[in-house]
Amino acid sequence: MLIFIARRLLFALALLFAVSAFTYVIFAALPSDPAALTCGKNCRPEVIAMNRVRLGYDKPIVVQYGQYLKGIVKGRTYGASEGVHCPAPSLGYSFRKHQCVTDLITRSLPVTASVALGAFVLWMLIGIGLGTMAALKRGRWPDRLATGFSVVGISLPTFFVGLLAIMVFVIWTGLLPFPRYEGITSNPAKWFMSLILPWFTLAIVSASSYVRLTRNGILEVMNEEFVRLGLAKGLRRRTLIVKYVMRAALLPIVTIAGLDFAALLGGAVITESVFNLPGMGKLSIMAVNDSDLPILVATTLVAAVFIVIANAFVDILYGFLDPRVRSY
Amino acid sequence: MKSRKAIIGALLVGAFFVSACGSSGSGGSGSGESSGGRSGTDEGIKDGGTLFILDHSTGATNLDPQRIYTGADLGFLGSTITRTLTSYTPVAGKAGTQLLADLATDTGTPSDDVKTWSFTLRDGVTFEDGAAIVCADIRYGVSRTFASDMTGDEGPLYATTMLAVEGEYPGPYTATADQQAAYEKAVECSEDGKTITFHLKNPVADFNYTVALLAFAPVPKAADTADKYTLKPVSSGPFMIKSYEEGKELIMVRNPNWSADSDPIRKPHVDEIHWQFGLDESVIDERMIADAGDDQATIVYGGLQPENLQTIFDNETYADRRTDGFDGFVSYTMINIKKVPCLEVRQAFWLALDREALRTAGGGPFTGEFADSFINPLLATDYTPGTVTEGLNADGTPNVEAAQAKMDAAKESCPEVHKHATEDGLRFDHGQSELWAKLISIWIDSLGAVGIKIIDNAIEPSKYYATINKDPGDLMRAGWAADWNNASTVVPELFTKEGGFNYSQNWEDPAYPAFSDKVNLAKAEVDRSKQATMWQELNQYVLDQAWAVPGSFTKAQNLVGSRVRNAYPWLPFGWYNVGAIGLAE
Repeated sequence: MLIFIARRLLFALALLFAVSAFTYVIFAALPSDPAALTCGKNCRPEVIAMNRVRLGYDKPIVVQYGQYLKGIVKGRTYGASEGVHCPAPSLGYSFRKHQCVTDLITRSLPVTASVALGAFVLWMLIGIGLGTMAALKRGRWPDRLATGFSVVGISLPTFFVGLLAIMVFVIWTGLLPFPRYEGITSNPAKWFMSLILPWFTLAIVSASSYVRLTRNGILEVMNEEFVRLGLAKGLRRRTLIVKYVMRAALLPIVTIAGLDFAALLGGAVITESVFNLPGMGKLSIMAVNDSDLPILVATTLVAAVFIVIANAFVDILYGFLDPRVRSY
Repeated sequence: MKSRKAIIGALLVGAFFVSACGSSGSGGSGSGESSGGRSGTDEGIKDGGTLFILDHSTGATNLDPQRIYTGADLGFLGSTITRTLTSYTPVAGKAGTQLLADLATDTGTPSDDVKTWSFTLRDGVTFEDGAAIVCADIRYGVSRTFASDMTGDEGPLYATTMLAVEGEYPGPYTATADQQAAYEKAVECSEDGKTITFHLKNPVADFNYTVALLAFAPVPKAADTADKYTLKPVSSGPFMIKSYEEGKELIMVRNPNWSADSDPIRKPHVDEIHWQFGLDESVIDERMIADAGDDQATIVYGGLQPENLQTIFDNETYADRRTDGFDGFVSYTMINIKKVPCLEVRQAFWLALDREALRTAGGGPFTGEFADSFINPLLATDYTPGTVTEGLNADGTPNVEAAQAKMDAAKESCPEVHKHATEDGLRFDHGQSELWAKLISIWIDSLGAVGIKIIDNAIEPSKYYATINKDPGDLMRAGWAADWNNASTVVPELFTKEGGFNYSQNWEDPAYPAFSDKVNLAKAEVDRSKQATMWQELNQYVLDQAWAVPGSFTKAQNLVGSRVRNAYPWLPFGWYNVGAIGLAE
């Protein structure tokens, strides 16, 4: 088992390295000129050239990437007249935002984590709850209701649900204030209030597919022989469903949910934008709008890290749950 | 001045929204103007409260005074946290362009040859920590403009081009002792630290307007954090920055060390200003229309969405909250005189262009009025309707017949250029955008009607200016607004060889020397009305030579909350005098 874990972790590390190299090269190859972006519109060509040298963008891409990795490990000093030092792990310096990228990410991650955690709990409750109800009441109105919710939820784009929620609950009825994010430590009540709408928006959209997955999973398991055997032997239906059916049906769902959650930690781009939450998704959008390459590279990398970690975690978890996969 | 608005290919700015300043007289019905009704007055103001600003942008373009070049930012930060030697009268309308002494005791004393300007500081002017503002703070602030590697030349560069600094001066961070001494010889401080004297390379009759730019604001050396200074500049005005988080919010509170007695310009009413960033534009509009809760005490940085304009301007309910007016910009197309040295072809180009179709594609009359000058009507002293090329249709539709006649004449008078325009094609440089993807087909079709071939050259926006600086096309799209209330920041900047944004390369034109001589005379003219006449004549000269083709005087529309008062458009900056805004009960 230890060898299996070590192998998976090494693979994850190699994957991270490949992703970082690929991301760096991709963004470096974009038509935007990072040196020009440090300059105003009336910037003289000689200033652009000077900044290109100072920022190291005149060097071959391999050297640039090497400096980038070195910055992550040892920290790095960037720029001009009064150089700006970003301590390790330095993911770059944004001359657009005038801040170390690591600082920006450190500030954005808790916001995204807040959005992701609350939404995740909600959508799992809604998705699994409705899916279970639909399976157990198959063909009856609860099933039709849950399936209908699922179809509508999947069809609605996040930005539409988000904007509709703002219109209904904030602008038209005034039931909720316009979300303005506050840190959980500085003001828990405001933190909660600022996240209600984003949580429900994400939950409604994301829960839809889980309703279907859960319903189908439970129905499939209920057709298994061991369920019929349990019933024939006099096991109570509730015990059978909770202890055996759900356990078997939810295993693949939990795996998918783990990956979905990891992806969400990389930034709920649309939700954060609609509700003006300064998280990773918003940071990425800002970077795209500003062609702020250091931030773009960093947010992409951080998102990739979450996915790779989640993948490794799931692989290892499967190793525990199903010993057969350890041989792969 | 630069604009935050996404005017593709636009360069500099003034303003990004202004209203009720008189008719352009440029033809076209426009969208009708509105000055904001009751919200523009001080009716019912009660001191205190919080003013909110909603902004789609992810953050302030800049808060560092030496890096600010956006009209709205100059006005906003100038009225709240950054004082300068001179500033403008805090009233609506043309009177608002009147220069006033701010940190200085008067609007400056020039030498006879207007190559030296002195300003004496008032007593009692301080930074937010209570330290007195002295000459050295202003001299240090101005010196930061020279540090291109730090500022990225984001702010106006008048200090670098006007001051008589001997040799190279790289700014205060890397200058040698000799370089610093040379700079301090050009910007002298009196022994008592109360008087600052600027020595200029050439006569500048309106240098006292130049120092109203925040690039000439004081910065305490001890607090300078170079690139990061923009995150927390030290205030000298009635407000100071409490916190700033990019993508979220900037909060300003009252500066306890600001004294109203030392400030003849700023009369603050609210206690705090909360500038909220990153909001969805459609949500901003909906909130402003709904006008509920805190949104009643809210203004918006940026304009209304096109889809909401008709609703708001067709309904008198909004009459006391809406504004509509010129944003200070003129959009135009520069013609490369080196490549198109033929007046007839340049005039044909203008006559054949379907300006009405372009305006319709861009959003219709709310976007602006057809321009007949490079000097915006907001520069009321210097603006006069230009006499445009004979045959140009006032309604913006093309006059194909007149254009064809010009092309036929060009075939005789300058066959090489005619061939270049009709066979090789004219390379048209413009910023890459979704809008331009639509507009370019109108250019190609309308000019194609008289045989002019257009080669589309859409340039990635971040590289646009670097590209046309290095390799200018035949035609280049741009936009401009004055840096202060004088066409000295328009005509010389755009059309002289020394100007920072002259892409026409017109100095090769035989008509250029006479023009250049007259520009120099106008720059040194101290009689303002005489100077205005000279700018009007020079503007006409450019129109006659067709070195560039004016596009439109662009407009912007806005809506404020129902409790907002004193939200009048401040003409020199093109936005509200935010520091003076108060709230009604």
